[in-house]
Amino acid sequence: MIWNFRPLAGSLAFVCLCASAAAEATPLTPEEMAGAARTDGLSIPMPGEFMASLNKLGKIDWTSKFRIPIGTNYTSRPQMALNLGGLIADGYIAIEAQDQMQVKNIGRDVLTLAKALGVSKDVLERSGSIANFAEKSQWDQLKEEMEATQNEVKQSMAEAKDQDLVTLVTVGGWLRGLEVISGQIGAHYTETGGKLLRQPGIALFLNQHLDKLPEKTKDDASVKMVRKKMADIERLIAFPLDKAPTVDEVKELNKLTTDTLKDISKKQK
Amino acid sequence: MKRLFLTLVCALSTAAALHAATDGEVAARRTALDTAGAFTNDGFKLRDGHWAGDFAPGKPKIIQVNLYAGNQYYFTVGATAPAKKVLVTVYDETGKPIASEPYQDTSVAAIGFSPDNSGIFFVKVEVVEGAAADFCLVYSYK
Repeated sequence: MIWNFRPLAGSLAFVCLCASAAAEATPLTPEEMAGAARTDGLSIPMPGEFMASLNKLGKIDWTSKFRIPIGTNYTSRPQMALNLGGLIADGYIAIEAQDQMQVKNIGRDVLTLAKALGVSKDVLERSGSIANFAEKSQWDQLKEEMEATQNEVKQSMAEAKDQDLVTLVTVGGWLRGLEVISGQIGAHYTETGGKLLRQPGIALFLNQHLDKLPEKTKDDASVKMVRKKMADIERLIAFPLDKAPTVDEVKELNKLTTDTLKDISKKQK
Repeated sequence: MKRLFLTLVCALSTAAALHAATDGEVAARRTALDTAGAFTNDGFKLRDGHWAGDFAPGKPKIIQVNLYAGNQYYFTVGATAPAKKVLVTVYDETGKPIASEPYQDTSVAAIGFSPDNSGIFFVKVEVVEGAAADFCLVYSYK
Protein backbone atom coordinates (compact mmCIF):
# COMPACT_ATOMS: atom_id res chain seq x y z
CA MET A 1 0.00 0.00 0.00
CA ILE A 2 2.77 2.36 0.94
CA TRP A 3 4.35 2.17 -2.52
CA ASN A 4 1.14 3.65 -3.91
CA PHE A 5 1.97 6.99 -2.34
CA ARG A 6 4.57 7.93 -4.91
CA PRO A 7 2.10 8.41 -7.81
CA LEU A 8 -0.15 10.28 -5.40
CA ALA A 9 2.68 12.64 -4.56
CA GLY A 10 3.12 13.29 -8.27
CA SER A 11 -0.57 14.02 -8.66
CA LEU A 12 -0.45 16.38 -5.72
CA ALA A 13 2.44 18.27 -7.21
CA PHE A 14 0.53 18.59 -10.49
CA VAL A 15 -2.64 19.79 -8.84
CA CYS A 16 -0.58 22.20 -6.78
CA LEU A 17 0.73 23.84 -9.91
CA CYS A 18 -2.76 24.37 -11.25
CA ALA A 19 -4.53 26.28 -8.55
CA SER A 20 -4.35 28.75 -5.75
CA ALA A 21 -6.83 28.49 -2.92
CA ALA A 22 -6.43 32.05 -1.74
CA ALA A 23 -8.39 33.56 -4.63
CA GLU A 24 -11.70 32.02 -3.46
CA ALA A 25 -11.42 32.29 0.31
CA THR A 26 -12.84 35.23 2.25
CA PRO A 27 -10.86 36.68 5.18
CA LEU A 28 -11.55 35.47 8.71
CA THR A 29 -13.51 37.76 10.99
CA PRO A 30 -12.00 38.91 14.32
CA GLU A 31 -14.60 36.71 16.06
CA GLU A 32 -13.50 33.65 14.08
CA MET A 33 -9.85 34.29 14.96
CA ALA A 34 -10.65 34.86 18.63
CA GLY A 35 -12.71 31.68 18.75
CA ALA A 36 -10.08 29.49 17.05
CA ALA A 37 -9.02 26.37 18.89
CA ARG A 38 -5.59 26.38 20.53
CA THR A 39 -4.22 23.00 21.56
CA ASP A 40 -0.93 21.79 22.98
CA GLY A 41 -1.04 18.95 20.45
CA LEU A 42 -1.02 21.09 17.30
CA SER A 43 -0.80 24.81 18.11
CA ILE A 44 2.60 24.54 19.78
CA PRO A 45 5.37 23.54 17.33
CA MET A 46 7.66 20.63 18.14
CA PRO A 47 11.34 21.53 18.73
CA GLY A 48 12.18 19.74 15.47
CA GLU A 49 10.26 22.36 13.48
CA PHE A 50 12.22 25.20 15.02
CA MET A 51 15.47 23.35 14.35
CA ALA A 52 14.51 22.62 10.73
CA SER A 53 13.97 26.34 10.23
CA LEU A 54 17.25 27.24 11.94
CA ASN A 55 19.18 24.70 9.87
CA LYS A 56 18.20 26.65 6.74
CA LEU A 57 20.19 29.67 7.93
CA GLY A 58 23.47 27.79 7.59
CA LYS A 59 25.49 24.93 9.01
CA ILE A 60 25.20 24.73 12.77
CA ASP A 61 27.63 23.09 15.18
CA TRP A 62 25.01 21.36 17.29
CA THR A 63 27.60 19.81 19.63
CA SER A 64 28.41 23.34 20.80
CA LYS A 65 24.80 23.61 22.01
CA PHE A 66 25.11 20.83 24.62
CA ARG A 67 24.84 21.98 28.23
CA ILE A 68 26.33 20.61 31.43
CA PRO A 69 24.10 17.68 32.48
CA ILE A 70 21.38 18.74 34.88
CA GLY A 71 20.34 16.85 37.99
CA THR A 72 17.51 14.32 38.01
CA ASN A 73 16.85 14.03 41.75
CA TYR A 74 14.40 16.82 42.42
CA THR A 75 11.79 16.61 45.15
CA SER A 76 9.24 18.97 43.59
CA ARG A 77 7.05 17.50 40.84
CA PRO A 78 6.56 20.83 39.00
CA GLN A 79 10.32 21.30 38.94
CA MET A 80 10.76 17.74 37.63
CA ALA A 81 8.27 18.45 34.84
CA LEU A 82 10.01 21.68 33.79
CA ASN A 83 13.36 19.89 33.67
CA LEU A 84 11.90 16.90 31.85
CA GLY A 85 10.78 19.26 29.08
CA GLY A 86 14.27 20.74 28.91
CA LEU A 87 15.83 17.29 28.78
CA ILE A 88 13.61 16.24 25.90
CA ALA A 89 14.76 19.35 24.01
CA ASP A 90 18.35 18.32 24.84
CA GLY A 91 17.52 15.02 23.16
CA TYR A 92 16.57 16.80 19.92
CA ILE A 93 19.86 18.74 20.05
CA ALA A 94 21.87 15.54 20.57
CA ILE A 95 20.11 13.97 17.59
CA GLU A 96 20.86 17.00 15.41
CA ALA A 97 24.50 16.65 16.53
CA GLN A 98 24.34 12.90 15.75
CA ASP A 99 26.05 12.11 19.05
CA GLN A 100 25.23 8.53 20.10
CA MET A 101 26.54 8.79 23.66
CA GLN A 102 24.77 12.08 24.32
CA VAL A 103 21.47 10.68 23.02
CA LYS A 104 21.81 7.62 25.25
CA ASN A 105 22.72 9.66 28.33
CA ILE A 106 19.83 12.04 27.80
CA GLY A 107 17.47 9.13 27.12
CA ARG A 108 18.50 7.66 30.48
CA ASP A 109 17.90 10.97 32.28
CA VAL A 110 14.50 11.38 30.58
CA LEU A 111 13.60 7.89 31.82
CA THR A 112 14.67 8.74 35.39
CA LEU A 113 12.58 11.90 35.55
CA ALA A 114 9.60 10.37 33.75
CA LYS A 115 9.59 7.43 36.18
CA ALA A 116 9.72 9.79 39.14
CA LEU A 117 6.68 11.58 37.72
CA GLY A 118 4.77 8.30 37.41
CA VAL A 119 4.66 8.16 33.62
CA SER A 120 3.19 4.88 32.35
CA LYS A 121 5.35 1.83 31.61
CA ASP A 122 4.44 1.84 27.90
CA VAL A 123 5.98 5.26 27.45
CA LEU A 124 9.06 4.32 29.42
CA GLU A 125 9.71 1.47 27.00
CA ARG A 126 10.24 4.06 24.27
CA SER A 127 13.44 5.09 26.00
CA GLY A 128 14.82 1.64 25.19
CA SER A 129 14.12 2.13 21.52
CA ILE A 130 15.79 5.56 21.63
CA ALA A 131 18.98 3.86 22.83
CA ASN A 132 18.66 1.20 20.11
CA PHE A 133 18.18 3.73 17.32
CA ALA A 134 21.14 5.74 18.66
CA GLU A 135 23.28 2.58 18.68
CA LYS A 136 22.49 2.09 14.98
CA SER A 137 22.86 5.81 14.12
CA GLN A 138 19.30 5.86 12.76
CA TRP A 139 18.91 9.60 13.17
CA ASP A 140 15.68 10.12 11.22
CA GLN A 141 13.94 7.39 13.19
CA LEU A 142 15.31 8.91 16.38
CA LYS A 143 13.71 12.27 15.60
CA GLU A 144 10.35 10.55 15.18
CA GLU A 145 10.87 8.51 18.33
CA MET A 146 11.78 11.60 20.35
CA GLU A 147 8.67 13.42 19.11
CA ALA A 148 6.49 10.40 19.91
CA THR A 149 8.08 10.10 23.36
CA GLN A 150 7.40 13.75 24.12
CA ASN A 151 3.75 13.41 23.11
CA GLU A 152 3.21 10.14 24.94
CA VAL A 153 4.77 11.48 28.14
CA LYS A 154 2.26 14.34 27.98
CA GLN A 155 -0.59 11.98 27.12
CA SER A 156 0.28 9.74 30.04
CA MET A 157 0.29 12.76 32.35
CA ALA A 158 -3.03 13.98 30.98
CA GLU A 159 -4.60 10.56 31.53
CA ALA A 160 -3.29 10.62 35.11
CA LYS A 161 -5.05 14.00 35.58
CA ASP A 162 -1.69 15.78 35.71
CA GLN A 163 -2.57 18.40 33.08
CA ASP A 164 -0.57 21.03 34.96
CA LEU A 165 2.56 18.94 34.48
CA VAL A 166 1.87 18.78 30.72
CA THR A 167 2.01 22.58 30.61
CA LEU A 168 5.29 22.60 32.53
CA VAL A 169 6.91 19.98 30.28
CA THR A 170 5.94 22.11 27.27
CA VAL A 171 7.31 25.28 28.88
CA GLY A 172 10.60 23.61 29.84
CA GLY A 173 11.15 22.22 26.36
CA TRP A 174 10.23 25.44 24.62
CA LEU A 175 12.55 27.49 26.86
CA ARG A 176 15.50 25.19 26.14
CA GLY A 177 14.84 25.39 22.39
CA LEU A 178 14.56 29.17 22.59
CA GLU A 179 17.84 29.38 24.52
CA VAL A 180 19.72 27.41 21.87
CA ILE A 181 18.23 29.27 18.95
CA SER A 182 18.61 32.76 20.40
CA GLY A 183 22.21 31.85 21.25
CA GLN A 184 22.89 30.81 17.67
CA ILE A 185 21.18 33.85 16.17
CA GLY A 186 22.83 36.20 18.65
CA ALA A 187 26.26 34.87 17.73
CA HIS A 188 25.63 34.92 13.96
CA TYR A 189 23.12 37.74 13.69
CA THR A 190 21.11 38.48 10.57
CA GLU A 191 17.71 40.17 10.34
CA THR A 192 16.26 37.02 8.76
CA GLY A 193 17.54 34.95 11.67
CA GLY A 194 16.24 37.46 14.20
CA LYS A 195 12.75 37.31 12.70
CA LEU A 196 12.67 33.55 13.36
CA LEU A 197 12.37 34.36 17.05
CA ARG A 198 8.96 35.96 16.56
CA GLN A 199 6.54 33.67 18.45
CA PRO A 200 3.82 35.82 20.04
CA GLY A 201 1.18 33.09 19.88
CA ILE A 202 3.29 30.54 21.71
CA ALA A 203 4.32 32.86 24.53
CA LEU A 204 0.71 33.98 25.03
CA PHE A 205 -0.59 30.39 24.95
CA LEU A 206 1.97 29.21 27.50
CA ASN A 207 1.51 32.21 29.79
CA GLN A 208 -2.26 31.72 29.76
CA HIS A 209 -1.79 28.07 30.71
CA LEU A 210 0.71 28.97 33.44
CA ASP A 211 -1.84 31.42 34.86
CA LYS A 212 -4.44 28.64 34.99
CA LEU A 213 -2.24 26.26 37.03
CA PRO A 214 -3.61 25.20 40.43
CA GLU A 215 -2.57 27.54 43.26
CA LYS A 216 -0.49 24.78 44.86
CA THR A 217 1.55 24.40 41.67
CA LYS A 218 1.89 28.16 41.25
CA ASP A 219 3.35 28.30 44.78
CA ASP A 220 6.25 26.08 43.75
CA ALA A 221 9.45 28.17 43.72
CA SER A 222 10.47 27.03 40.20
CA VAL A 223 7.02 27.81 38.77
CA LYS A 224 6.92 31.22 40.44
CA MET A 225 10.28 32.08 38.90
CA VAL A 226 9.28 30.79 35.44
CA ARG A 227 6.03 32.78 35.42
CA LYS A 228 7.94 35.94 36.26
CA LYS A 229 10.54 35.41 33.52
CA MET A 230 8.01 34.30 30.91
CA ALA A 231 6.39 37.72 31.01
CA ASP A 232 9.73 39.31 30.01
CA ILE A 233 10.31 36.64 27.36
CA GLU A 234 6.88 37.31 25.83
CA ARG A 235 7.78 41.00 25.53
CA LEU A 236 10.97 40.14 23.61
CA ILE A 237 9.47 37.68 21.12
CA ALA A 238 6.19 39.46 20.39
CA PHE A 239 7.73 42.10 18.12
CA PRO A 240 5.86 43.45 15.06
CA LEU A 241 5.73 41.47 11.83
CA ASP A 242 7.80 43.96 9.84
CA LYS A 243 10.51 44.49 12.46
CA ALA A 244 13.49 42.29 13.32
CA PRO A 245 14.87 42.36 16.86
CA THR A 246 18.30 43.98 17.22
CA VAL A 247 21.31 41.85 18.04
CA ASP A 248 21.24 43.26 21.58
CA GLU A 249 17.61 42.24 21.99
CA VAL A 250 18.43 38.72 20.77
CA LYS A 251 21.30 38.53 23.28
CA GLU A 252 19.03 39.79 26.04
CA LEU A 253 16.56 37.04 25.17
CA ASN A 254 19.33 34.46 25.22
CA LYS A 255 20.53 35.60 28.64
CA LEU A 256 17.01 35.56 29.99
CA THR A 257 16.34 32.00 28.80
CA THR A 258 19.76 30.78 29.99
CA ASP A 259 19.24 32.27 33.46
CA THR A 260 15.72 30.83 33.65
CA LEU A 261 16.92 27.33 32.76
CA LYS A 262 19.76 27.53 35.28
CA ASP A 263 17.29 28.51 37.99
CA ILE A 264 14.91 25.71 36.99
CA SER A 265 17.67 23.11 37.27
CA LYS A 266 18.89 24.26 40.71
CA LYS A 267 17.78 22.03 43.55
CA GLN A 268 15.22 23.75 45.76
CA LYS A 269 16.17 24.29 49.42
CA MET B 1 9.50 3.48 3.21
CA LYS B 2 10.17 1.64 6.44
CA ARG B 3 10.29 4.96 8.24
CA LEU B 4 6.97 6.02 6.76
CA PHE B 5 5.44 2.72 7.78
CA LEU B 6 6.73 3.08 11.32
CA THR B 7 5.37 6.61 11.50
CA LEU B 8 1.93 5.56 10.35
CA VAL B 9 1.84 2.59 12.69
CA CYS B 10 2.94 4.71 15.66
CA ALA B 11 0.49 7.46 14.81
CA LEU B 12 -2.45 5.09 14.43
CA SER B 13 -1.52 3.21 17.60
CA THR B 14 -1.50 6.46 19.49
CA ALA B 15 -4.86 7.39 18.03
CA ALA B 16 -6.33 4.05 19.03
CA ALA B 17 -5.02 4.51 22.56
CA LEU B 18 -6.77 7.84 23.04
CA HIS B 19 -9.89 7.31 25.10
CA ALA B 20 -11.40 10.60 23.95
CA ALA B 21 -11.15 9.76 20.24
CA THR B 22 -14.34 8.46 18.63
CA ASP B 23 -14.31 5.71 16.00
CA GLY B 24 -15.11 8.39 13.43
CA GLU B 25 -12.14 10.51 14.46
CA VAL B 26 -9.82 7.52 14.27
CA ALA B 27 -11.15 6.73 10.77
CA ALA B 28 -10.74 10.37 9.71
CA ARG B 29 -7.20 10.31 11.03
CA ARG B 30 -6.40 7.21 9.01
CA THR B 31 -7.68 9.00 5.89
CA ALA B 32 -5.58 12.08 6.64
CA LEU B 33 -2.46 10.01 7.32
CA ASP B 34 -2.87 8.03 4.08
CA THR B 35 -2.55 11.29 2.14
CA ALA B 36 -0.04 13.02 4.43
CA GLY B 37 2.17 9.95 4.13
CA ALA B 38 2.71 10.80 0.46
CA PHE B 39 4.54 13.98 1.40
CA THR B 40 7.21 12.05 3.28
CA ASN B 41 8.46 10.87 -0.13
CA ASP B 42 9.37 14.49 -0.76
CA GLY B 43 11.24 14.81 2.52
CA PHE B 44 8.36 16.16 4.59
CA LYS B 45 8.23 15.03 8.19
CA LEU B 46 4.83 14.19 9.61
CA ARG B 47 4.32 15.94 12.91
CA ASP B 48 3.32 13.58 15.72
CA GLY B 49 0.11 15.32 16.72
CA HIS B 50 -3.36 15.99 15.39
CA TRP B 51 -6.58 17.90 15.91
CA ALA B 52 -9.86 16.03 15.58
CA GLY B 53 -13.55 16.67 16.05
CA ASP B 54 -16.71 17.01 14.01
CA PHE B 55 -17.85 19.60 11.48
CA ALA B 56 -20.91 20.24 9.31
CA PRO B 57 -21.72 22.21 6.16
CA GLY B 58 -21.71 25.93 7.02
CA LYS B 59 -20.04 25.24 10.36
CA PRO B 60 -16.27 25.22 9.72
CA LYS B 61 -13.70 24.64 12.46
CA ILE B 62 -10.61 26.81 12.92
CA ILE B 63 -7.36 26.20 14.80
CA GLN B 64 -4.47 28.56 15.52
CA VAL B 65 -0.97 27.26 14.73
CA ASN B 66 2.49 28.77 15.06
CA LEU B 67 4.79 28.31 12.09
CA TYR B 68 8.35 29.24 11.17
CA ALA B 69 9.56 31.17 8.15
CA GLY B 70 11.81 29.10 5.91
CA ASN B 71 9.96 25.84 6.51
CA GLN B 72 7.50 24.34 4.03
CA TYR B 73 4.24 22.99 5.41
CA TYR B 74 1.43 20.71 4.24
CA PHE B 75 -1.85 20.65 6.21
CA THR B 76 -4.03 17.62 5.52
CA VAL B 77 -7.61 17.08 6.65
CA GLY B 78 -9.34 13.72 6.45
CA ALA B 79 -13.05 13.20 7.08
CA THR B 80 -15.54 10.36 7.37
CA ALA B 81 -17.88 9.34 4.55
CA PRO B 82 -20.81 11.72 5.13
CA ALA B 83 -18.52 14.53 3.95
CA LYS B 84 -18.34 14.32 0.15
CA LYS B 85 -15.96 17.21 -0.35
CA VAL B 86 -13.81 18.95 2.27
CA LEU B 87 -11.57 21.99 2.17
CA VAL B 88 -8.62 23.24 4.19
CA THR B 89 -7.55 26.91 4.04
CA VAL B 90 -4.67 28.74 5.74
CA TYR B 91 -4.86 32.39 6.89
CA ASP B 92 -2.22 34.76 8.24
CA GLU B 93 -2.47 36.40 11.64
CA THR B 94 -4.66 39.20 10.28
CA GLY B 95 -7.14 36.68 8.90
CA LYS B 96 -6.12 37.12 5.28
CA PRO B 97 -6.10 33.90 3.20
CA ILE B 98 -2.63 32.72 2.17
CA ALA B 99 -1.80 31.90 -1.44
CA SER B 100 -1.24 28.17 -1.30
CA GLU B 101 -1.13 24.87 -3.14
CA PRO B 102 -4.39 22.92 -2.65
CA TYR B 103 -5.24 19.27 -3.21
CA GLN B 104 -8.75 17.86 -2.97
CA ASP B 105 -10.15 14.35 -3.29
CA THR B 106 -13.61 13.64 -1.81
CA SER B 107 -13.14 13.24 1.95
CA VAL B 108 -9.55 14.44 2.07
CA ALA B 109 -7.92 17.77 1.26
CA ALA B 110 -4.43 19.19 1.69
CA ILE B 111 -2.77 22.54 1.30
CA GLY B 112 0.90 23.40 1.03
CA PHE B 113 2.71 26.70 1.57
CA SER B 114 5.88 28.35 2.89
CA PRO B 115 5.35 31.20 5.36
CA ASP B 116 7.30 34.39 4.69
CA ASN B 117 7.23 35.29 8.38
CA SER B 118 7.30 33.31 11.61
CA GLY B 119 4.25 33.66 13.82
CA ILE B 120 0.56 32.91 14.12
CA PHE B 121 -1.52 31.34 11.35
CA PHE B 122 -5.05 29.99 11.28
CA VAL B 123 -6.17 26.78 9.58
CA LYS B 124 -9.86 26.38 8.66
CA VAL B 125 -11.40 23.01 7.79
CA GLU B 126 -14.88 22.76 6.31
CA VAL B 127 -17.37 20.50 4.60
CA VAL B 128 -18.10 21.88 1.13
CA GLU B 129 -20.45 19.09 0.02
CA GLY B 130 -22.17 16.35 2.00
CA ALA B 131 -23.29 16.10 5.59
CA ALA B 132 -21.87 16.44 9.10
CA ALA B 133 -18.82 14.24 9.63
CA ASP B 134 -15.81 13.60 11.84
CA PHE B 135 -12.53 15.16 10.77
CA CYS B 136 -8.86 15.00 11.65
CA LEU B 137 -6.19 17.57 10.76
CA VAL B 138 -2.47 16.72 10.63
CA TYR B 139 0.50 18.56 9.23
CA SER B 140 3.90 17.86 7.72
CA TYR B 141 6.94 20.12 7.43
CA LYS B 142 10.44 20.27 6.01
